[in-house]
Amino acid sequence: MLWLKTWLDTRWRFLIGFALLLLSACGIAVSYVQVEQLIPAVRAMNVPDGPLTERIEEAMAIQSTFNGFVWSQWFASNLTTLATFFAAILGSGSPLSGSSRGVTFALALPVSRRRWLATRASLGLLQLLALVLVPSLVVVLISPLIGQSFALGAAVVHSISVFIGSALFFAIAFLLSTVFTGVLRPLLITCAIAIVVGMLEALLVVPGVFSTMAAESYFREGTVPWVGWLVTVVVTAGLLYAAARNVEAQDF
Amino acid sequence: MADENVIEIANLSKSYDGVDAVAGLNLTVPRGAICGLLGRNGAGKTTTIKVLLGMVRPTSGSARVFGLAADDPRASVEIRRRASFVSDDKDLYDALTVDEIIRFTAAFYPRWNDDLADEYLERFALPEGRPAKKLSRGMRTKLALLLALSSGTELLILDEPTAGLDPAVTDEVLKALVAHAARGDVTVFMSSHQLADIEQIADRVAIIDRGRAVLNGELDEIRASYRRVRVVFDGDAPDVALRSAGVIRSQRNGRVLTVLSSAGADGIRAEVAPLEPVSVDELPVTLKDIFLETVVGEG
Repeated sequence: MLWLKTWLDTRWRFLIGFALLLLSACGIAVSYVQVEQLIPAVRAMNVPDGPLTERIEEAMAIQSTFNGFVWSQWFASNLTTLATFFAAILGSGSPLSGSSRGVTFALALPVSRRRWLATRASLGLLQLLALVLVPSLVVVLISPLIGQSFALGAAVVHSISVFIGSALFFAIAFLLSTVFTGVLRPLLITCAIAIVVGMLEALLVVPGVFSTMAAESYFREGTVPWVGWLVTVVVTAGLLYAAARNVEAQDF
Repeated sequence: MADENVIEIANLSKSYDGVDAVAGLNLTVPRGAICGLLGRNGAGKTTTIKVLLGMVRPTSGSARVFGLAADDPRASVEIRRRASFVSDDKDLYDALTVDEIIRFTAAFYPRWNDDLADEYLERFALPEGRPAKKLSRGMRTKLALLLALSSGTELLILDEPTAGLDPAVTDEVLKALVAHAARGDVTVFMSSHQLADIEQIADRVAIIDRGRAVLNGELDEIRASYRRVRVVFDGDAPDVALRSAGVIRSQRNGRVLTVLSSAGADGIRAEVAPLEPVSVDELPVTLKDIFLETVVGEG
């Protein structure tokens, strides 16, 4: 019953995210037909040498193959951004948030606070996994329709990378929801943290959660980012544990 | 077993940011009692109830329900398995329909009684398919009560169950409570501002003020022992400090000295006899009188 209640509480966030990500995945896979046609024209353009040109050429080189295009446009870009956003949405709003209706009712049931949170966190993470994995598998499935293919194994590894990274933002939102009441503040703060972390990673060129999500090492060399996965999972687990401790210490 | 206390509160204190909500509260509720918890707004009634249900951790002291420590998270789950609660705001899952809330709640209580739920559903005329958010306050109260009564628990904890209800619904709710308590070994612990409600159904009463109990006992005994004694003199009533046991308050007004006693009138009669009063009368005391004298009078 806790699962049913938690599903009823979060279903619309999940379903909206699911629909958006599915559309995005399909759109990206299908758009490769046009991109493939544009690449020779862009290559024929006479542009002066410089750092920008180098970056454009690098991007062109990656996107000249379907694998590279899907990795750069889907896994390392759209999926990462959307999964981060929906992770923040799914993690925001604790079932025991002080302002929400039904909290007293929930707390009066013979259910521990830890079990409430564990159910919410488990379902939220499962929803997040579905948001990341299913659209990625759809890319694999529809690729033959445009005469291309994307390896199932690669799709799974990239999806796991995005899932692990976005789970960190889920956990941040989850922890913040035990501090702030309502959905909006945890969501906005988590989004702000994601933007700042993303900017820092890009500016300082340091490994972080977004580079783990992109899993460039796997795309280029077939090396699974184990260290990034492990560190992110440990931090995520720590944040979820902190959320549980925080709620256990609260008065309602 | 009959004398076993279902609720035992000893020196319980709870403060929020240095402000005492409960301050050294001592209270016991024996098994099978219908105990009314009375007090002004902010007296500590809801905080006390929340401590019992594990929603609030005490600052000091102890609260035990069925002999289990209410502040222990594991014990608290067991307490809530054996005790059901109706909150003052009749908090429910607004998105669920009446029928869904009943099925949802039933899943958590091993002794849930489906027949009883159906009986109350019909008796309270609750619309099964209507979402909780579209229920009137009276309907919400009835649904909350249905859930509590059908759960098969040994203890009902009710926080202001009749607040905001019209007299007809209040009467219906109270009758349902009394009938339920009469069915079996159920203890009822009910906070209220409505003295008449408590007087109608309770066999015990506890009055708390500023977080501590100022009165706790059986209602009949309290009624029997509390007396208002009116002593009339020939001239102005003498300014005497009465030393008889149980004198709570005395007031002089012209020729009349009025004394409230919690230990009957005999001691006062004996003490004022040498002052040669014209008459000494005993007047019955209502729960409202006792409440006003013990709580409001203290302020």
